[in-house]
Parts: sequence; structure tokens; C-alpha cells
Amino acid sequence: MINQKTHMEQTLTSQSSSYNTINGQDLKKLVEAALRWLKANQQLVNSLNVFPVPDGDTGTNMLLTMQAAYNEIANSEETNIGKVAKDVAQGALMGARGNSGVILSQIWRGFARVLDNLPEMDAQILSRALSESRNTAYKGVVRPVEGTILTVIKDVSLAVENCVTKSSDLAEILDVAVKTADESVKYTPELLPILKTAGVVDSGGKGLFFLFEGMQRLIQKLPLDEGTIVIKDLSSIKFAETMDVVEDGQDVEVVIDFTPNDKLDLEAFYNDLGKIGTSIQVGEGDGLYRMHIHTEESKQDEPEALIKSMGQISKIYKEDLRDQMKRIEAKKKELDIKQIAPGSIAVVSVSPGPGLSQIFVSQGAAAIVTGGQTMNPSIEEILKSFEDLPTDKVIILPNNKNVILAANSAKALSVKNVAVIPTRNISQGISAILRWNPDGDFDQIVEDMNDSLDEADCGEITTATRSVEINGVEVEEGKIIGLLNGKLVVSGNSVLETCLDLLEKTDMEMRERVTLFYGSNITEEEVSKISEKIAEKYPDHEVEVHNGGQPHYQLIISIE
Amino acid sequence: MNPSDNPIGSIYISHRSIASIASQSALESYGIVGLANKNLASGFTHALTKDPVMGVDVFFDETSVSIDLYLIIEYGTRIKSVADNVSEFVKYQIEKTTGLTVKQVNVHVRGLRISNTD
Repeated sequence: MINQKTHMEQTLTSQSSSYNTINGQDLKKLVEAALRWLKANQQLVNSLNVFPVPDGDTGTNMLLTMQAAYNEIANSEETNIGKVAKDVAQGALMGARGNSGVILSQIWRGFARVLDNLPEMDAQILSRALSESRNTAYKGVVRPVEGTILTVIKDVSLAVENCVTKSSDLAEILDVAVKTADESVKYTPELLPILKTAGVVDSGGKGLFFLFEGMQRLIQKLPLDEGTIVIKDLSSIKFAETMDVVEDGQDVEVVIDFTPNDKLDLEAFYNDLGKIGTSIQVGEGDGLYRMHIHTEESKQDEPEALIKSMGQISKIYKEDLRDQMKRIEAKKKELDIKQIAPGSIAVVSVSPGPGLSQIFVSQGAAAIVTGGQTMNPSIEEILKSFEDLPTDKVIILPNNKNVILAANSAKALSVKNVAVIPTRNISQGISAILRWNPDGDFDQIVEDMNDSLDEADCGEITTATRSVEINGVEVEEGKIIGLLNGKLVVSGNSVLETCLDLLEKTDMEMRERVTLFYGSNITEEEVSKISEKIAEKYPDHEVEVHNGGQPHYQLIISIE
Repeated sequence: MNPSDNPIGSIYISHRSIASIASQSALESYGIVGLANKNLASGFTHALTKDPVMGVDVFFDETSVSIDLYLIIEYGTRIKSVADNVSEFVKYQIEKTTGLTVKQVNVHVRGLRISNTD
């Protein structure tokens, strides 16, 4: 029992790769390998979609589910395989995304139930665990659809049941599982007509195959981080990068998915395409090819004609590049967000106006969510803003007390490491982002940002929408009011008067800088007058003015 | 509801037809183990009439259709994901087969079936 921990190391380092039992740490390595291999092949799985529904990205959904599962055990020293499996199942349940993710979580749940608190797993137990995976997965639906991930787990569990009567070597059994999964996936179009029509195999089943194959590759010491077959991610070749190399006259982008009749002669194919256009890229996966090209408008049908002569076309996308360019230009003008370095700390900021967004971006925000008073962003919007960032360290600045809850919910839904700094207003948000450092220690920066919350006061100047008396301040509808840290403190007839009164209410002795962000409902001249008056009254203080572009509020004032 | 007129006449699709599509799609959706009665009273009615579209309400406005689903979900699944999936799938199936626009699919989880308690 003492050398339990080194079971797999022994087998991994010795020549023979056979072993009869594995423990919790071994399972952890296998899960990690499965995750890495699925990640490497994520795009391939995504490309197998047939339903145009948002559940669409099966590869991504399964990956997020597996990532959540692995996160539960990433730092675990547990050697009891039952306990590790239970954590994996729990993580998969919590992180389950999409149909395939939910089914995957049920597969893990059944698996973990059999391993219940067992220190080790042998072939017999593995076989029972996989059968229970199958049973649990099938129990979750009234009418199981065959030709899906369900069929694949069924075929694998039956093959393993059969296999353990002959062998007790887990590596050998895994080989059988991988081989069966592969065959089962290839057979899915025969069971599910819609797959056959679309000319693909089932995506969830393929994802499950990669999980098994990743484990096998770990044992065979094969690399896990580069997919064997590369289909370029379409979204990554569509925008920014290719836009820079668009040549004059290349107005149309054409992307065609096809299956060649005979083995494709790549060189000749590239030659032919070269006569039609530029920016040629060809991807291949499981016999399915994807071609990407930019051509002149008059030649836009030629790639299709060429490919038709050599194989079966399954999908054609065409897009007018000039339109695309215009949209990208417009977006660029809006905001110039810099791509963050992979793995660095990303700040997501909620901002009520374009000017303020620009300020956050200039301070390094990796994503902006539009929202604020009277237009709170949804959890979904917040989640979407950072799910695609190439890092798992994310800091959210809600910048409004009504958004903090949504930000926390987004945090709970994400598999990434997310911290929410409870910034209740814009000036706290700006003080916080000044503490940001992309390569710093995540926990340290979060702590610094939290500390910064007390170091700034936030003033807001707006027009009263109804008559009211709060905190002893009487307000008539249409008058200008001033809020300090969210509380109504002054009211007046002009923005200038209210602004100066507001500053009196703060502890100006302790502060050294006043920053005014002016909104869309006030002119620049008015604001410069106000800033002059402030500078006159407080000669020791720095006064800065920025165009915040926020609606409703004439001024947002940060007092630091 | 007539989603489209063609040159020789109109097409009418009843509530009941749409409810049938919704109920079949829901039962094919992973994690859904049954449809439930909206309330006890209609439960009795359904018991007497054997309504095939129990657990589905269909509402029309001029251009679109809204669906309410009353469902039993398998215990131990992530309910949020299952509910998201079923509403997407029902919307997709109705839009694909009828050509109508589905404005809303509201999912009411009426209970969980516990097959295994782990």
C-alpha cells in the first residue's frame, strides 16, 4: 500500500505499460490528460455542429464542463480514488454547460457512485463504474436519441464489460475503450439521419472519444497539447488578422466546407486557388476540408465551381469584405481595446458612457460592459465579456451598486478565477483600475483594489426627476441635485452652484485631486467654467476634466 | 394562428399542434424526465381526458408564439443548463417545423425525479 502513490509513475517510467490498479492521484492525471486533449481538439468538435442553436459549441461546452471538474481536484493530494471521482463528478455537475455537458456530468456521476470511497480501482470495478455511467446517463431522458454521446458511452461500457472477462490490465482495457469509442462515433450517422444529411459525426460522441483518447495518450506518452488534425478556427481567421492583409480588389471572402471524392492533392489545389484569389487557407479534419479565400467580386463563384469538380460541398459562407471592414473600422473608432497577453490579469469594467469606457480602456481594461444607472447589464452580458479572454484571471469592476449582484452571479457561473471588486461608482472604479498590473500577483492586486475603495469620494450631479425630501434636503422636480457617495446632499439651481456646494460637503483638506467626467447633457464650455471656479476656490488641488459621455448625469466627480 | 398565406389560401396551425411539438421536443431533451400538470384541478381534467399535451401552454399574439412548459427534471443534473437546453430546443423545433417565430419559452420546473441519491 505504501507505494500506491507511484503506481502510474512506475508504469510511466518503466518499459512495460501495464497495471492492475490505479488510485486517486492516477485518476487525477488521467482527468487532466483528458481535459488537455479535449482542449487541443475543441475546434474540431465545435465544427461538427448541425443544430443552429446556441447549445452549438459542443466542444467548448464539454471543455468548460471538464475544466470545472478538474478544478475541483487540481490541488488535491487525495489518493482515495472514490473521493477524487466524487469531486470530479461534483465539479462536472456545477460546471455543466449545454446538452453534452449535462450528459457528461451524469456520466461522471454514475462513475463516482460505484467508486464510492474505494481506495483503488481495478478492472472489475472500472467495468461496473462505466456501466453505472451508462445507466445514469440514460436515466436522464425519457426518449434517448441514439447516434449521440449516449450511444458512445453505451458501446464503450459494453465493450469494457466484455473485455474484463479476459484481461485485468487497465491499459489494455483503455485501448479497447478508445477503439470502441472511435468506431461508435464513426457509426453515429447511421443512427441519426440529421448527422448523415449534414455529413458529420456526432459532436458530443466525438468529444467523449477525445476524453478517452487523451487518457490513452498519457499512458502512451504522446503529446497532449497539439491536436493531430488542425481545422483553423473560423472566427479567428475571419477578423482582425486577415483584415490587415486584404489587398485591393479582393472584395469577397469565401469559405467552403467539403469532402473530396479522391485523396486531395493539396499542392495542385493551392495552385488552382492561387489563380482565383489570395489569403488562402485550408484546414482538414476527419476527411472534411475547409477552404478559405479572398477573391474579386467577379470571381466569387469560381472557388465553388472548382471544388464542385473535386468533391461534395457541405457548406458555403460568403461575406462582403468591404462591409466587414466598415464594421471593424466603426468598432475600432468606438473603442481601441488592446488584446491582453495570454494568462495575464484581465480587468472587466462596467461603464455608462463611451468617454468613460475610453478612460477605462486607456488604463488597461480588457473588456467593457455597457451599463450603469437605469440600464444594468445582465449576468449573461458580463459573463460573455470575459469568457473569451485568453486568461483565467479576471477582475470585475461593477462601478454601480446595482450591478455588483450581477457581477457576483457571473463570477459564480464562470469556471475562471474571478474576483469582483465591489466598486459602487465610477470614481471607485477608476481608483481601483489604477492598482492594476497585468503580471502581478492576482490576490495581491485584488487586495490593493479593495483597499483603494475607501480612498476616493464620488460626487454625482444630475437633474431631479420628482419632488422629494431626503436627508433633510428639499428637492423640487427639475432642480439640480448633488449626490455624495450615493447619498443626496445638496440641491441647487445650476450645475456650478450645486457642484461647489457638493465639494464643501467633502473632506477637501484630505484630498488632492478632483476629476470631472461630464455627461452627454452638458456642454464643454459649461464644464470648463466649472473647473475654473473649482481651481479658484481650491488652489492646492489638481482639477482634471474628461468627457465621460454618460447619460442622465451632467457630472460624475471623483475626489481623491 | 396563420403564419403564412400562400397564393391559393391560408395555413392555420392550432394551439394543440404546437403544444404537441413542444411536448415531444421536451421529452427528447436531455434531463427532462416528464411533463407536469400546471395545477391539481387541471390534473383531474387531464386524468379524465388524457390530454396528450399536458404540461404545455401555448399563447399567440399577432406575429409570434410563446410557450410555457411545466417539467419534471432528473435530480442530480444542473437544472439551469437543462432548462436552458430544453427552451432552446423547443424554440428551434417549433420554428423549424411551423415557420412561426417563438418569442418566449418559459420553463417551470415543477419537480425533480430522484432515481439515485448518490
